[in-house]
Amino acid sequence: MNFWLLSPELSLCGIALAVVLLDLVIEQKKVLAVISVFGLIIPIAFTIALWGEQQASFSGMLVVDNFSLFFKFLILGISALVIISSVDYVKKFARFQGEYYALILFSTGGLMLMCSTGELISIYIALELASISLYALVSFLKDPKSSEAGLKYMILGAISSAVLLLGMAFVFGITGSTHLDQIADKVSTLVSGGQLWDSPALLFGIVLMVAGFGFKIASVPFQMWVPDVYEGAPTPITAFLSVASKAAGFAVILRVFYTAFGIEAISADWGMIFAVLGAISMTLGNVVAIAQTNIKRMLGYSSIAHAGYIMVGLAAISTLGKSGVLFFLAGYALANLGAFIAIIAISNKTGSDEISDYSGMSRRSPVISFILAFCLISLIGIPPTVGFMAKFYIFNAAIQQDLLWLVIIAVLNSTISAYYYLRVVKVIYIGEPLSDEPIPSSIPMRVSLAITSIGVLVLGIYPWIVLRLAETAVVTFP
Amino acid sequence: MLPSTVLWVIFLLPLFSLAFISLVLRPFFNNYPKLSGYTIISCLAVALGLSIWVMTSSDQFPVESTIEWAVVGDFRISLGFVADNLTAIMLIVVTGISLMVQIYSQGYMHGDPGYHRYFAFMSLFTASMLGLVLASNLLLVYVFWEGVGLGSYLLIGFWFHKPSAAAAAKKAFIVTRFGDFGFLIAILILYFTTGTFNIAELNNLAMAGILGGTTLTLAALGIFSGAVGKSAQFPLHTWLPDAMEGPTPVSSLIHAATMVAAGVYLVARTLPMFASSEFAIMFVAVIGGVTAIFAASMGLVMNDIKRVLAYSTISQLGYMMLGLGTVGVAISQGYLTYEEGIGLGIAVGIFHLFTHAFFKCLLFLGAGSVSHASGTFDMRLMGGLRKYMPWTFLVFLAGALSLSGIWPLAGFWSKDMIVLHAWEHTPVLFWLAIITVFMTAFYMFRVIFMTFGGEYRGGEQGHGDHAHGEPHESPLVMVFPMAVLALMAIGCGWAIWGGGAAQFLGEAGYYGLHGAHWHAHGFFDVFTKVGEEPMPLIALAVALAGILLAYTMYSAKWISPERVGKVFAPLYTLFSRKYYLDELYEQVFVVRILQNGIFRLIELFDIYVVDGIVNGVANITVVGSSTLRRLQTGQLQSYGLAIVLGVLIIMVVLFIYR
Amino acid sequence: MSLGLEHYLILSAILFSIGLYGALAKRNAVVVLMCIEIMLNAVNIAMVAFSRYLVPDVVVLTGHVFAIFIMTVAAAEAAVGLAIIITIYRNRHTVDIEQADLMQG
Repeated sequence: MNFWLLSPELSLCGIALAVVLLDLVIEQKKVLAVISVFGLIIPIAFTIALWGEQQASFSGMLVVDNFSLFFKFLILGISALVIISSVDYVKKFARFQGEYYALILFSTGGLMLMCSTGELISIYIALELASISLYALVSFLKDPKSSEAGLKYMILGAISSAVLLLGMAFVFGITGSTHLDQIADKVSTLVSGGQLWDSPALLFGIVLMVAGFGFKIASVPFQMWVPDVYEGAPTPITAFLSVASKAAGFAVILRVFYTAFGIEAISADWGMIFAVLGAISMTLGNVVAIAQTNIKRMLGYSSIAHAGYIMVGLAAISTLGKSGVLFFLAGYALANLGAFIAIIAISNKTGSDEISDYSGMSRRSPVISFILAFCLISLIGIPPTVGFMAKFYIFNAAIQQDLLWLVIIAVLNSTISAYYYLRVVKVIYIGEPLSDEPIPSSIPMRVSLAITSIGVLVLGIYPWIVLRLAETAVVTFP
Repeated sequence: MLPSTVLWVIFLLPLFSLAFISLVLRPFFNNYPKLSGYTIISCLAVALGLSIWVMTSSDQFPVESTIEWAVVGDFRISLGFVADNLTAIMLIVVTGISLMVQIYSQGYMHGDPGYHRYFAFMSLFTASMLGLVLASNLLLVYVFWEGVGLGSYLLIGFWFHKPSAAAAAKKAFIVTRFGDFGFLIAILILYFTTGTFNIAELNNLAMAGILGGTTLTLAALGIFSGAVGKSAQFPLHTWLPDAMEGPTPVSSLIHAATMVAAGVYLVARTLPMFASSEFAIMFVAVIGGVTAIFAASMGLVMNDIKRVLAYSTISQLGYMMLGLGTVGVAISQGYLTYEEGIGLGIAVGIFHLFTHAFFKCLLFLGAGSVSHASGTFDMRLMGGLRKYMPWTFLVFLAGALSLSGIWPLAGFWSKDMIVLHAWEHTPVLFWLAIITVFMTAFYMFRVIFMTFGGEYRGGEQGHGDHAHGEPHESPLVMVFPMAVLALMAIGCGWAIWGGGAAQFLGEAGYYGLHGAHWHAHGFFDVFTKVGEEPMPLIALAVALAGILLAYTMYSAKWISPERVGKVFAPLYTLFSRKYYLDELYEQVFVVRILQNGIFRLIELFDIYVVDGIVNGVANITVVGSSTLRRLQTGQLQSYGLAIVLGVLIIMVVLFIYR
Repeated sequence: MSLGLEHYLILSAILFSIGLYGALAKRNAVVVLMCIEIMLNAVNIAMVAFSRYLVPDVVVLTGHVFAIFIMTVAAAEAAVGLAIIITIYRNRHTVDIEQADLMQG
């Protein structure tokens, strides 16, 4: 047992508990946000210090390698940005601000553990730690929309985790182990015929696990919760769901499928499942997004579409594909967070998420409008933004694996997506402003907006900083 | 010695202008709109000076500046700018014309509330356009390609409160993206076949035969589809006439002189690749020829002066494509070697681009000046403006003569080259070209006579500031750039003497030009050497015939356009020579039947079928969207059902395809 | 006749299906929550059965451990779930799931 390896998660939980306790005595609730954000520096520092480590501990339940550290860093960063941008938003809550920050931190801890386990039981527990915290956060506003979103997320999440568990039970029953590497040994003897149907029970287990994880990453047909929950949840939580939860979902998928089911005989089969689901996800997400009038809902559909793009990287079973997924997630996190933070800033003032209420926003707040437009352009994938580089990299990986059809669908989809993103840009820049009142932005807001937009631009021009890390991260497992 | 940083400075100057206008002038000096105009004008003046320096340093070409930007395993991207002869010419065109247009805009946009925004967008566009012509690899070309598209989109929709402008901007954006899609695919195909984006390397691979076959044909067709979109060739030309909703200087700079020429530039830049694929280059030539005549025929029936010019632009761009294509066809069929042909093709195509940029820009600015005075673009409401605006009339006439290809103006020399080579290499397309010459002369002088001839018909009534009884000459700030452009429209073709311009252009892309294939003209050769080479004189005659027909119909009113079928008799007495008479008879027939019949049909086909298909695809997506969203019922149990059904469907599909 | 793995698995499958049917068809949110518990318990039976019969005559504890964790997590989930249902009830004075369709499309 090496607690040093667990230090980021341990320190994070410590901070979360500290926030809950301090909430009892501190009157000025802003201090809690400060404590949370600065507290996050500790796990981030531990994560950086651990970089390069490659070992398993707690009898294989905890795996620390560059791959998990990459995701931990990403998720911690997302968490910090979400907390910073929540500072103004939480004024909406009459009570329980301390719990709000603590729940975000606990959820962060769960997501971090998800990326860092090599064993089914702990994957399940980490996933539930993240999910249950998020169920509470989604319904935190307690108004009709938020509580409805919470109900939908909770019940569908529970159903999908039951499905996931059934899948895990089958995989465990067939292979006799819950450790991914031991599963891998057994799988290679099970599918000696070279295809998945050699063992229908294993295949059934795998498909059920795809369903369970597909729920987390918002892949069709397990994506139905996304628009409703995104619309109803408090906006910072929507942002957190759309990037952190998705990133951890992909991390688990990458680890489970490459470690346990990574043998060549069957990897092409599940690769094809992801390819087809990805193609359907991006098409459905983009097409339905066109008809949306609520910007959070639109970004929900956009999130489904982006799950589709990232699955292109999953389908391209290669080092390039894996590192592409990592880089895409990082880029998507920056651009999507930037967009959401801008939306938070605007809705703090206007109280509305309807696209029509963004009319003429550029004249009320040029900077926030510009950053929102810039992030949306990144989501389309137009240079010089990180979105372009990410798509370019991931499509490149797919082409090298002879998935030209998938790339053509993806590029067509990017074209469709330009339509609805640019519609928002158009409304912002061309519409008549509904009032002359400027949109105020506090210093924390400005800081988080600056971080995301500079990140989007810098990674769009010079992505190699993160790409190198992503490449090092994925070589640490097969 | 030309340092390669000059290339970067040229590119960065308008970018600086953009940053300065949007970050300093707009927030802090919003009440001093003129400042942004001065900013961009001074930046462009410096850029023009540097461009001239680049051009005069042609002995050091190619000047390259490359940054190794990305290395991922075998995946390597270097970004770079390169200056060679082709780039140098394009730099002069872009900076020179942009400078003139910005000066003109100071007058034309006077008092517009979006003054800063206008010049910021103009800076963005100019920077992208300069980047596009400087870029040495296809990826970078594509980046700036989208950049100019964005600039165009923003500027067409500049008067966004007009729904037609907003719709036109959207249309331009969407239609050109269809072409861009092919371009992107082509870039990817080329990269994954050869492992490089560098244009010069790709050209060399194509000429060495390493890159060839279906791959090359597909890639070339993909590149061409990008060019078709940007250069508004058939069948993606529909956006350009609508794009006239933008401010006139925008139409002048973007939709006449520079951006729409980007497609031609791109084909010229990659000509060795095209010329290595017989099908692709033939396709270019045919599309060029068909577009030339097709667009010109529509230009005959328009009443909006800017739309006439728009169709004329499409037609002339088709000409340039034809020029590139016809020489390329000769190469692909083995009549010319690469060494002889590539330089020649570039010279033929780009020389027309060069001259066309000046006179078409001039014509648009003239049209803007006319509408500034009369408050309308409808020629039926103009007339007699020659009296009121003599300067505008003079420069417009110079532009029209040049466009019609009248000796010794610029258009004559460049158009001549295309006609000549079409005659030599692709005789069928030659006929299209020569008919187009006739039509061009006809519609241009129809414009001249309707706008400047006869009596003033009152202009637009009740049109804000401009609703004054007497039209007046435009201010000096508008006349001056037109005068400069008029001088160029008259004189820039003379650069061809002794093959000078051709020699210069021919060396573009590092290929020598072989004099034997170059029809170098002396100034009077068109008359003195008519025995050796009758074609220039024939083309000139055809153009004059077009002017004459326009004169008879719209100025002298010998032929009433409305009753043109009933006035055959006076034609017999007007022309003594039978040949002319027969020809004229034919043309009246053409005007009567084709103009109001077939050409009208083509126009309708254009509006209903071509536009319909393009709009239809967009509509299907929108309908699909509103249909699919009904799946999202809001009932969470139906969402749960989707999860379960999803699992079952995946299992069944896997079972079927096991 | 002795009980074998297949009997437990069939029981598990039947329970899972009952739970799934209830979760997708019942209108009362509390009943839906209970049905989800049935699904989880069906999984528990499968886990334990697999664990017991996987290697003849050797007791593998992994499945049992997994089952215990599932029960724990299910309890936590039920707690949060009931809390959410209470907020729904406060907002709408009903726990009918079909009426929770404020957001759609």
